[in-house]
Amino acid sequence: MRSDNDDHINRRTMLTYAGTAAAIGLAGCSGNDGGDGSDGSDGSDGSDGSDGSDGSDGSDGSGGDDAFDIGVTMGQMDSGLDPQDHAETNTEIIVGQAYEGLLDRDKQGGIIAGLANDWERTEDGSVRFTLRDGVTFHNGDSLTAEDAAFSIRRIVFDDVGIASPQKNDLGSVSEVVAGDGEVTVSFEGFNPIAFQLFATNCEVVQRSWIEENDSNYINRNANGTGPFVVTEYDSGNEVAYEAYDDYWGDDNPVDGLTMSASSESSTRVNRLLAEETDIVTNVPPQEVSRVESSDVAGINSVPSARIIFLQMRYDVEPFSSQQFRQAMNHAVDVESIVENVLNGFGSITGQPTLEGHVGHNPDIEPYPYDPEEAERLVEESGHAGAEITLQTPIGRYLGDVEIAQAAANQIDSLSNVSCELEQREFSSLVQDITTGNIEDKPHFNLLGWGNAEFDGSQTITPLMTTDGALTILENEELDQLLADAENTEDPDERVETLQEANQLAHDLAPWVFLHQQFSVYGVSSDISWEPRSDEFIDPDTATRQ
Amino acid sequence: MSFGRFVLKRSLQGLGVVWGVVTVVFALRFVTPGSAINAVAPLDASQETRRAIATELGLDQPLYVQYGQYIFDLLRGDMGFSYIRGQEVVGLVFARLPATVELALAASIVAIGLSIPLGVLSATRRNEPIDYGATLFSLGGISTPNFWLGIMLILIFAVEFDVFNTSGRGVDVGDVALSVIGSEPFVGTLLAWLAYITLPAIALGTYFMALITRLTRSGMLDELGKGYVQAARAKGLPDTLVRYKHALRNTLIPVITVLGLQLGTLIGGAVITEAVFSWPGLGTLVIDSINRRDWPVLQGSLIVIGTSFVLVNVLVDAVYAYLDPQVVND
Repeated sequence: MRSDNDDHINRRTMLTYAGTAAAIGLAGCSGNDGGDGSDGSDGSDGSDGSDGSDGSDGSDGSGGDDAFDIGVTMGQMDSGLDPQDHAETNTEIIVGQAYEGLLDRDKQGGIIAGLANDWERTEDGSVRFTLRDGVTFHNGDSLTAEDAAFSIRRIVFDDVGIASPQKNDLGSVSEVVAGDGEVTVSFEGFNPIAFQLFATNCEVVQRSWIEENDSNYINRNANGTGPFVVTEYDSGNEVAYEAYDDYWGDDNPVDGLTMSASSESSTRVNRLLAEETDIVTNVPPQEVSRVESSDVAGINSVPSARIIFLQMRYDVEPFSSQQFRQAMNHAVDVESIVENVLNGFGSITGQPTLEGHVGHNPDIEPYPYDPEEAERLVEESGHAGAEITLQTPIGRYLGDVEIAQAAANQIDSLSNVSCELEQREFSSLVQDITTGNIEDKPHFNLLGWGNAEFDGSQTITPLMTTDGALTILENEELDQLLADAENTEDPDERVETLQEANQLAHDLAPWVFLHQQFSVYGVSSDISWEPRSDEFIDPDTATRQ
Repeated sequence: MSFGRFVLKRSLQGLGVVWGVVTVVFALRFVTPGSAINAVAPLDASQETRRAIATELGLDQPLYVQYGQYIFDLLRGDMGFSYIRGQEVVGLVFARLPATVELALAASIVAIGLSIPLGVLSATRRNEPIDYGATLFSLGGISTPNFWLGIMLILIFAVEFDVFNTSGRGVDVGDVALSVIGSEPFVGTLLAWLAYITLPAIALGTYFMALITRLTRSGMLDELGKGYVQAARAKGLPDTLVRYKHALRNTLIPVITVLGLQLGTLIGGAVITEAVFSWPGLGTLVIDSINRRDWPVLQGSLIVIGTSFVLVNVLVDAVYAYLDPQVVND
């Protein structure tokens, strides 16, 4: 098989030797390598905030004789290699090859062991992680509990080096204590989703390495415990890795990895079809058939943890009317949008929590497309003749402008509402959305939200509760339900509370519920690889076909 | 005015332009919607976290303090620190500059190497099939958007026929130079380099080529109709000498001016071509920095592009003055 870097070498080698053969009659060939390795074993699930443990420690080793190289091409490169000083998916994918957290997730989003092979909640509500033995950083030093504790502190406390943009991602941490091979984290109050948060966030760094180096160095080099060692970093262009021989986990069948980016989706697809790379991200719907009809690659898609919706501000007319908001839900034909705009790569939603996430309410049906019902509700709301404008970002989410155009047209086709579309550059729109003041936010806009924690509260709290950073709603009953969910120590009761909150959110309709976005990848026929629902790419799980 | 004073005057004017570029680019961040904080912080970051990030980035300082600090740092050769990438701007920008210059020069070589002979041929064989062909070719080149041309070139020559690479810069001109003294075979390395650079160079240079072809053709036609050419022919000078020593030399004066301007444009204007070919130059860095609101990197990139443009133009002015001394006194 040929990867980006591999291809570069192959093509270069091919041309080199072809040219040389033509010139001086020389020819050559290249071999492959790969060290021995024995199996590691998998961890068990500890989902929904319960304790958990790993099956057993894996032993080190890389892929063996069948090791191969792999290339991944994304839409954008990283913003530096410091794993705790970014808040971007692409950066996470790149640094996540070299760094790991205390907990991890499987392909479906379930919690599994990471650097901690045992995790439990203590009697006082704190959480305790027991570190796996035999883990080493890429510089050869052993992982210690102090390293893990320092990593948590560096994220949540401003006086430990950086103002991390991930500060809110671990909840309200009050204290971090390193013990003998274990770390205990305490929170301000009870944190029911502590394990979910740690399964998604908090990559572990080596304290001494961080303290000895400046930001410029930390952002251009990596010293994690992950399956891949960074061997070459070309900022904004390419990152090359090789398998870490002393990795604690399962055999890594991938010997060399190259991560690169092409902002143009057609270029990404062309690279795949020219067999210059093995995995490309975000294949647009219009390119899917070109990939599928080729004999060198195919499409792999998976429902992502991202939901797409139209926000309606509760405090301005006509959106202050619940009936009007429900009418908008009936006016938009989401099924048609998914089918025609997204080529089927989406699933219809009717609540803020996605299927498979904690708190999803299976009894809620999406609002049916019913223009007549929409017109009736608009009349009842007293806002007949309303003129509204839908604001949409350009190119931020898969087919965002086309989706917004379709929705605006469908709303505009109602006899008693007119709707215009305003396209805005994402940075500009997001500046209005993230203002701390609800009065400054758009009245009606398209937005997407990724919930990497797989927990309904992580969507409803920031987007729908009164104090949420991105809220457009104020409802005491919903606030109370989320507060109850936050404070309950019984996981089952918490799920029921969140399901109730989802039912209420559905009825209040602060959003036009659109769809769950799919992650669409182009994958070389030379490999077999299944994508993850949290948008992270794990090339070490690929196998050669 | 002497030639030296002329060059000095142009250089000082160039410095003024660079200072203007610095100021305008610095001001851009304050009139462009979108905050750098949103590029660093997640959407749901609290206002407290946002304020902490703003303080860390120095964005809470008054405008004049930020500007003064920036100019002061710049004079010391410090372009600042990318708060998005956590790296020195100087390192980021100058790591990309060679790729852009390499592409611009390659595009220029493609363009100049084809356009001047084609323009001369077109003028000397006016209204013949070769003239019509060259005119059609150059009109097509001017009319074709380079992003479309780039995509077509990739589809045909990289995906369909697998002759060239689709994108990237796996081998650079430095590798080719090193292969002369190193262990890598020179011819093979050269071919590998060509596999990467040929398509973007054609895509970027086509408009340039078409423009110079048209300019050379019309300039040659103009010169060939002048009295001194008639006189030279009347004296019995060989037609080749008249065309290429007398007429072409005068034709080249305006062509060189445009060449200089276009070379500057190629350095700064390769943004689209670099994006289509994922060419790791300043253009892709500029796009990425705009998307991420990475102002220090954007400022550094634009300053380097602006300075390159000014330098090339000062150089062109100097060459122009050398070829036509009247310019110095004008």
